[in-house]
Parts: sequence; C-alpha cells; structure tokens
Amino acid sequence: MTTNVDRTAEVLIRIRGVTKDYARGGEVVKVLEALDLDVNRGSFEALMGPSGSGKTTLLNLIAGLDSPTSGTIEIDGQRIDRMGEGALAKWRSNHVGFIFQSYNLMPVLTAVENVELPLLLTPVRASERRKRAETALRVVGLADRMSHYPRQLSGGQEQRVAIARAIVIDPVLLVADEPTGDLDRQSADDVLTLLDRLCKEMGKTILMVTHDPAAADRASLTHHLDKGRFRA
Amino acid sequence: MIIPLRYNLRSLFVRRATTAATAIGIALVVFVLSSALMLSEGVRRTLGSAGKADVAIVLRKGSSAELESGVEDPQVALVKAMPGVRRAGAEPAGSGEVVVVIALEKLGASGVTNVGVRGVLEAAFTLRPDVRVVAGRRAAPGADEAMVGIRLRGRMKGLDLGQSFELKKNRPVQVVGVFDDGGSAHESEVWVDREVLRSSFGREGSVSSVRVRLDSPASFEAFRANVEQDKRLGLMAQRETAYYEKQSEGTSLFISVLGSLVAFFFSLGAMIGAMNTMYASIANRQREIGTMRALGFSRTSILFCFLVEAVLLSLAGGALGAVLSLAMGSVRFSMINFASFSEVVFRFEPTPQILAVSLVVSMAMGVLGGFLPAVRAARTSPLAAMRG
Ligand SMILES: Nc1ncnc2c1ncn2[C@@H]1O[C@H](COP(=O)(O)OP(=O)(O)OP(=O)(O)O)[C@@H](O)[C@H]1O
Ligand SMILES: [Mg+2]
Repeated sequence: MTTNVDRTAEVLIRIRGVTKDYARGGEVVKVLEALDLDVNRGSFEALMGPSGSGKTTLLNLIAGLDSPTSGTIEIDGQRIDRMGEGALAKWRSNHVGFIFQSYNLMPVLTAVENVELPLLLTPVRASERRKRAETALRVVGLADRMSHYPRQLSGGQEQRVAIARAIVIDPVLLVADEPTGDLDRQSADDVLTLLDRLCKEMGKTILMVTHDPAAADRASLTHHLDKGRFRA
Repeated sequence: MIIPLRYNLRSLFVRRATTAATAIGIALVVFVLSSALMLSEGVRRTLGSAGKADVAIVLRKGSSAELESGVEDPQVALVKAMPGVRRAGAEPAGSGEVVVVIALEKLGASGVTNVGVRGVLEAAFTLRPDVRVVAGRRAAPGADEAMVGIRLRGRMKGLDLGQSFELKKNRPVQVVGVFDDGGSAHESEVWVDREVLRSSFGREGSVSSVRVRLDSPASFEAFRANVEQDKRLGLMAQRETAYYEKQSEGTSLFISVLGSLVAFFFSLGAMIGAMNTMYASIANRQREIGTMRALGFSRTSILFCFLVEAVLLSLAGGALGAVLSLAMGSVRFSMINFASFSEVVFRFEPTPQILAVSLVVSMAMGVLGGFLPAVRAARTSPLAAMRG
C-alpha cells in the first residue's frame, strides 16, 4: 500500500457540466444538472443533501457504476464518462474501493475470503492474495476475525471487513454511500475514525455520502446537493 | 477473473432444502434413463451372447425366429452334409432342434406366462460347450424329464429341481437338472428330449431349426450360398451371432427408446425445476451479484459463475441418480421377448458408458436449465449493489 505523498494540491476528480437524466414513463427526469466539482487527491470529503437530491447518483457516476448523460468526469487523469461497460468494470477493479451502507459482504464467504474477492480480478497469485487480505483485515483491526462469516460479526465489524475489501486493491479512490447509516453511534465513530486514518496515513481520497452531520464533520470538506445542483 | 467454486458450493449448501429438492428431480431423470440403458444393455448381452461365430443356424426362408420356422428331417440331413460343416469323425456337427412355447403359472405373481421349451439331442450340448449342469443331471434321452435354465428356476410353478410341470395337458415332465450358459438367453429356456417334445406336440418329422458348426467362421459365406442356392429347399442360413443380435435388437431398442422418452419428459420437468430454483436463488442475490459487478467482475464471469452453480446442482442430482440406478444391478427383470414370445429374464447391466451418459445428461440439464437464469444474473446492473 502506498504511503501519503505530499500532493495535496493535485486534483484527483474533475467534474465538468455533468448532467444525469432518467427517463421515467416517457418523462425525462433531470436528476443532476450541469455539475462542476473538483476533489483533491488525499482529501476526505462529504456529500450531503435531502433525500432524492441526487447524492447516490453522483457517487455512482464518480465510481464508474453509471455514465452521465452529458459532461465530463476525469479521475486521476482518465476520462471515464465515455467508457464502455466492460472498460468501466475493469477500471473500477483497479481504481475504486466501494463501501456500502449495508456492507454487501458475500454471506457464504468468510471475512478473509470476502476481502480476497477483488484480488481475483488482478494478476496477484493465490498465496499473495491471502497475505494481502490478511494485512487489510489487520489494518481494520479484525486480525482475530479472519475466518468468521458475516453473520457471525457485528454490523460495525461487517463494515470494517467491507472497508478491508475496499482497500485491498490499493485504490486511489474510496467511495462510501452512507457507510454509517446502519450503525449505532459507537460503531459509526469507529468506522469514521478508520476512514480518517486511511485518508491521513495511506493517502486515500475518500468521498462519502451521508445524512449524519456528525459524520460530515469528520470530513475536511462538505458539498451540499439540492435537487441536482450544488448549494453555494 | 473466476469467482471461486466454494462461493457456489456454499450458496447451494445454504439453500440446501431447495437444492436437495431440485437435485432429487434430476436424480429421478438420471435414474430412469440409466436404468433403461442398463436394461437395454442387459437384453443385448443376454440375447446376444447365445451366438457363436462358427455356428450357423438354418431356418425356413422368411421366418424371423426359430418359433416360426420348420425344417423337414430329410432337409436336416442335407444341411448337415453340406461342405463347410465340421465333422467329428464320420458324423457332421449339427443339431436339429424344436422350439415351442408353453404357458406356465408364475410363482410369486398371479397369472401365466410363456416359457420357451427347446427339444434337444446330444448334439445340442456339443454345439454349446458353455452349457453346464449346476444342479441335478441332464434329462435322459427318451424320458419325460427336463432341465431348466437357471434364470427360470423357481420363477414358475413346477420349474424347480424335483418338481414337475405339464408339457402338454396330461403330459407331466419332471425337472431333473438346472443348467447355466454364461448368461445367455438359453438360461430362460426349458430343455427336454427332442423326441419327447415332438411326440407330445405331434411334430414328428420336422424341427424348428438346424445348427451346424462350421470348419471356421470364414466358411460361412460358402455354406450359406450352398444352402440358399437350392430353391427347392426353401431354407436360409444365418450366422448364429447375427441371428441373436437381430433377436435382441427390437427389445433392446424398444427399452432404450421407451426409457429415453420417459427420461426426456421427466427431464423437462426437472429442468424447469432447476431453472426455477436458479431464478429464485438469483433473485434473492441481486445485491450480492450487483456487488460483484461493482467490484469489477464482468458479465461473462457472472454468467459462467451461475452456469457452474446450476451444473454443480445437476451433477449432484445426476450422481445420486446414477448411484441409485447402480443398485438396480442386483435386480432381475423378466419380460416377454418380442422375438420368441416367451419370457426371458434380464439383468440391469451397468457399464462405464452408461454412467458417463448419465452424468453428461445431468450436466446438460444443468446447462440448459441454468442458462436463462445465468443470463439474467449476468444482466444485473452494478447499480443493484446500491439498492436496499
Ligand atoms: N434508475 C433510476 N431511474 C429513474 N429515476 C431514478 C433512478 N435512480 C435514481 N432516480 C431518481 O433520481 C433521484 C435521485 O436519486 P438518488 O438515489 O441519487 O438520491 P439520494 O440523494 O441518494 O437520496 P437518498 O438520500 O434517499 O439516498 C431520485 O428522485 C430518484 O428517484
Ligand atoms: Mg442515496
């Protein structure tokens, strides 16, 4: 895993004029309208806004899960807004770590097997995969839970396994959609502290959608979305 | 790039109730199919193994089986005297035999069944060196005695050592021996002295068939040309092996076709079952699959992953069905052979090929039943990972 290099001023995510429309029953719904956004490398930024304002939609575009209707998205110097589906999948597997509200672990795989999963998409050999997965679990403080199944873990532990899975490929970018939404205060704080450490100690750029002002406070910068536009 | 097998295995295990129900459906198909193929193989071996390469059988022209054929005694002598027939000293090696069918009461089941009775002389044994008396002794020439094939023993009333049955009304015959013949169809026959049979059925002066041992298998064509050249004889010659193969063809084909048809219709049901199971299981795993897509697994690897899961499921069923059908190996099955209208007892004969066919068929069911669900899984959007 890379250590933090001083490149704080460098822009990692550059979004220009991004629009996302959905067709719903013959009617076009504008979910995102002409958004511009820059996110610096190594920063921990939050995205807030009312329900339906387009937070998840924007995060999905940045993470390469979906493509914008118009506009450009450049991440780490690469334009992803016009990539085809296959190219996007490959790009995601090398550049993005995902943290979901409901953890999204595979229930039939153990913690360490879950963490290994993204490495199957890389040329890393089996023995090395296991070693890296174990290291990632150690980073999130779950060295003693390697062979537990998700159902044997608490919500906070599950989310930390998911964070280990997100960092195991050493991505430039971590995206988190309400990562503390299903957690109690204490577990939420632990997860936020962990994210903060990943940003400060490992130089990860983190973009987090949240409804929780306390969570947003942990970020260095908060963007407010409202009806598909940024509020000044 | 490939999602590990243990993901599929454990997913199947987690849903073990539906997995088991689906697998049992597939097991049933494989059981029916492989049992039918085993029985068909049993028929082929039983009927087919009675023939010898260097023996020719001569029947009346146009008859498809011994039962329909008749050959006059003087013709028997002519056939035996033909060139190509092996001689043991002065006497040519040949056997004129009479075959009739009688009705006997079944044991352990109600009703009567047809049993083939063969009237033989000493020569019948010379031509069939595999025939062994396993209990008692041979029927004495001219005596009202019989030997029963081992597969018939105890299956019909009167057909066991020391018992007697009616060859014809008021013509009781005593069973003095039991014989086997290496699994051939003769084991489902009763053998009596030829003259006893002829006199009780009023068939003096003719036989059903003539068998001769040739100098070598290669002598057959010349022998046949000689037999069939003389149009007045009205006879035809076949290799004994070919004759029995033809005898078994119909029955064996009938069983495999019937079994395959039944298995085919069952398999439609089992495939729909597998398809439903996979659809349901994939619907329950939308978020899991979406997550894999988000992590970067391609549509192809998801498709492959769920095809593999369906194939694992059906292979489990196939293996179960194959094992169950192997248990049929010890079962004897008796049925009327079309060619001789008499009851023949068959065994289910397992072969490696039949096992292979069973597993291939179950795999095919997995691929066919799993394909559409796997396509649906592969079409899962990575956005599904974000949804509740
Ligand atoms: N696939 C889709 N088809 C049609 N409309 C969609 C689709 N996805 C999202 N939308 C709409 O886009 C809008 C923004 O949705 P989005 O999920 O981005 O909101 P959000 O800010 O994340 O809300 P929440 O805080 O409730 O998660 C909503 O009105 C939603 O109904
Ligand atoms: Mg949302």
